[in-house]
Amino acid sequence: MGPDISPVGGVEAPAADRPHSKMDDAVAEMLVACRRTAYIAALQLLGNPDDALDLAQEATVRMLRSLPSLDPDRPWHPYLMRVVANLARDLWRRRRHRRAESLETLIEERGFDAVDPHAGPDERAHQGELRRRAAQALATLSGPHREILVLRDYQGLAYAEIAVALGIPRGTVMSRLHKARQLLREAVLHGGRTP
Amino acid sequence: MKDECPRGFDQRLISGYIDGELFQQDEQRVRLHLEGCSTCGKLAQELQTLREVTMATKFVVPTDDQWREAPRSAGSRLFRGLGFVLVGIWLAATLAFAGWELATGPAQPLEKLLVFGGGLGIGLLFLSVLLDRIRSARTDRYKGVER
Repeated sequence: MGPDISPVGGVEAPAADRPHSKMDDAVAEMLVACRRTAYIAALQLLGNPDDALDLAQEATVRMLRSLPSLDPDRPWHPYLMRVVANLARDLWRRRRHRRAESLETLIEERGFDAVDPHAGPDERAHQGELRRRAAQALATLSGPHREILVLRDYQGLAYAEIAVALGIPRGTVMSRLHKARQLLREAVLHGGRTP
Repeated sequence: MKDECPRGFDQRLISGYIDGELFQQDEQRVRLHLEGCSTCGKLAQELQTLREVTMATKFVVPTDDQWREAPRSAGSRLFRGLGFVLVGIWLAATLAFAGWELATGPAQPLEKLLVFGGGLGIGLLFLSVLLDRIRSARTDRYKGVER
């Protein structure tokens, strides 16, 4: 079996109207989705596949333990991202640095969808180069800026969901995200250095 | 900063605009501003390009085998396996020697009965736990979750 390519996707609660006998299967499916989503987010935050694997396992176990208290009518993706972000912060604290490894070599080249499917070879090459530079630059950002970019642009959370995941007001989400994007843009498009 | 809006526009709203997160009134305000401000227009376009690039990036997810094995390195697995084999051999040899010594030694029949009976009971308990663990490892739905 070859490597699987990530869909950046949400984690949904099993439908409550499923027959009871199917609930175990539904929970198992949900946990597999959790692990997969947590792995991708952890990889984006930490840049190291081994750390990401450990973190994803731990995050999934925490989700499993939290199942009885989670509201099945609300999306679980923000909650999972909160768990992942907290675990990543713990790891950063333990290692006393926030500089992550570059994601550049971990991006799946073959699975990359070009921004414009009708783009020519030159345009595709340009987009690939931008993507590589963005992955490199992400590793140089501070923890809070990296977190917010991962949650919004890589994980696709809405501002309200990011606010829940990071425990910050919605207005702070927008200003911090804008600052993070400015720094990323400076590094990627203008070759600037990020702090 | 060279990208600051000459009209002092709050550029944080541009991120909210390209994410579709603004209220209608703010969205309209940003749209009108971008039409008339080349600095902010260029900024919005570049941020939009970056956003699309990052959103389209995909990452390799480990296979099922990797999930199970990844936390342990190859060296760790090798030493662990070797350690289990050596401990197993040592335990079997020690128990066999002790059993032989007890059976052929000067111990009273009652002493032999106590030692062999106790040993057999403990062995059966371990065997029952081992069988349960093997069965649960085969049927546990969450074995891929917790390692």
